Amino acid sequence: MTSFAPLAIVVAVVGGTLLFAFSSVRHMRMSPQEYMVGGRGFGTVFLWVLLAGEIYTSFTFLGAAGWAYNFGAPAFYIMAYGTVGYIFWYFFLPWIWRMAKERGLLTSPDFFTARYNNRVLTTLVALVYCVAIVPYVTLQLSAVQIFLTIAGYGAIDAQLGAVIAFLIITGFVFATGLRGTAWASIVKDALVIGALVFAGIAIPMQFFGSPAAMFDQLIRAHPDHLVLGGLTAPKGSLWYVSTVMLTALGYFMGPHSISAVYSAKDENVLRRNSIFLPLYQLVIVLVLFAGFSALLIVSPALHGPAADQSFLLVVQHFYPPWVLGFIAAGGVLCALVPSTALLLSGAGIVAKNLGGDLFGMALDDRSRVLATRTMVAVLGLAALFLWLEYRTQLVDLLLLYYNGVSQFMPAFVFGALWKRTSSWGVFGGIVVGLAVALGLAATGTSPFGLNPGFIGLVCNVAVLVAISLYVNRFDPTAASNISSKI
Amino acid sequence: MQQRLRLLLAAIPITALTLAVPFVNRIEPRILGLPFVLAWIMGWVALAPLFVWGIGRVEHRW
Repeated sequence: MTSFAPLAIVVAVVGGTLLFAFSSVRHMRMSPQEYMVGGRGFGTVFLWVLLAGEIYTSFTFLGAAGWAYNFGAPAFYIMAYGTVGYIFWYFFLPWIWRMAKERGLLTSPDFFTARYNNRVLTTLVALVYCVAIVPYVTLQLSAVQIFLTIAGYGAIDAQLGAVIAFLIITGFVFATGLRGTAWASIVKDALVIGALVFAGIAIPMQFFGSPAAMFDQLIRAHPDHLVLGGLTAPKGSLWYVSTVMLTALGYFMGPHSISAVYSAKDENVLRRNSIFLPLYQLVIVLVLFAGFSALLIVSPALHGPAADQSFLLVVQHFYPPWVLGFIAAGGVLCALVPSTALLLSGAGIVAKNLGGDLFGMALDDRSRVLATRTMVAVLGLAALFLWLEYRTQLVDLLLLYYNGVSQFMPAFVFGALWKRTSSWGVFGGIVVGLAVALGLAATGTSPFGLNPGFIGLVCNVAVLVAISLYVNRFDPTAASNISSKI
Repeated sequence: MQQRLRLLLAAIPITALTLAVPFVNRIEPRILGLPFVLAWIMGWVALAPLFVWGIGRVEHRW
């Protein structure tokens, strides 16, 4: 008999979370600063919750378990890169925040305008962000559909459910802005930690006695699964090192992550978050435990993307409906909450950096909030339409997100460390870095097993330095007047 | 001196989680039942907050 209990729990939890978040921000007066960066008033704990809410997407739930199931040891990179990213960016986030505070920056492309003052560069960055955001949001929509399919035991039209859920959160962002996302993250983070502790500890204990015993069995059954392949093998050791470096360097380069950085109350809020955020990475190991357990439990074996659902299928088959309900609810929030942040930052970029800076539209505060809200609705509906019509093609575009936003890293890091960084150097670096990364990724070549995005980033930096040195030779005044030290 | 110390505090966990991993890429010895490479990564993730806190101390932030 089919139980509707899990679906009822998903609806109640997601609905309750959004209502709770909405009621917390109902009375805020909306200025562009309040709507897009929470009035730059978030303290340490609130920002920790928001960043965890944005960063840990449905990939944490489905993808990491799928990687553990399919590839084994390469999945360990997921724990390492966030941690390396937090340590690295400790040195740069306060500097970015100071510039944002002094110049009133609201979006990530705003930083490029403030530091480099080159309209062509800012427009390129804004366009890359816009093209990258849409496939990322549509990926989250597919995740919602997966969670609803499993929670409904396959008996309901999950696509319709995903459409409704997405329309609701578009309305939610329209009404609440960044502060709403932060409040919703509170419920989401708590539920996710609970679900992962269950999946990563209860499942191995019930089936094998303990996580250690699960590893005994796994090592016997698949001796090579838990170590990285040879140095230059696909997903081998060099791949691991280059992937951790690339993703760590690009860690805060998502448009919504930069918005979150701007939303901090002061610099030390960011520094303290570099201490506390790695703790969240430890929770991810539990997803890996769940994925490894599923590899031993689920038969016949799953292949390819189907492995993403491995541990959810274990929960569906072996646990009571209410457990499935709460885990699916956590998963749905994992897809929806980061989508709200991405929609918001994407809308801000279109309204301010394309509409405002390029075409002089919506320049005063009132009309800027209205324009951003309108773009939230437009982007949300566009993402929904593209998902319904072209979702398979869009998966390929995800490469653009992962390889693309990381290419913005040198603009921030060199911008902070090297006064002579030239805007055309940054421009050339991004273009070359993107071309190399996407070219290699699209053709499936990876020299020495290195991550294509990493090779792109190395080329990017080389071009940036070369053009900056060249420009400086002819125009010594090209050096910026940024004096603030990191 | 101070500058070097904070860079060193950052470089240790970063190196341990990137360049060092191919050298500890093995299953034995198991630590609390975990394969060695996984225990190594988990251990350094758990230690990372101490290092970042230490950088802040060197900078007199707290």
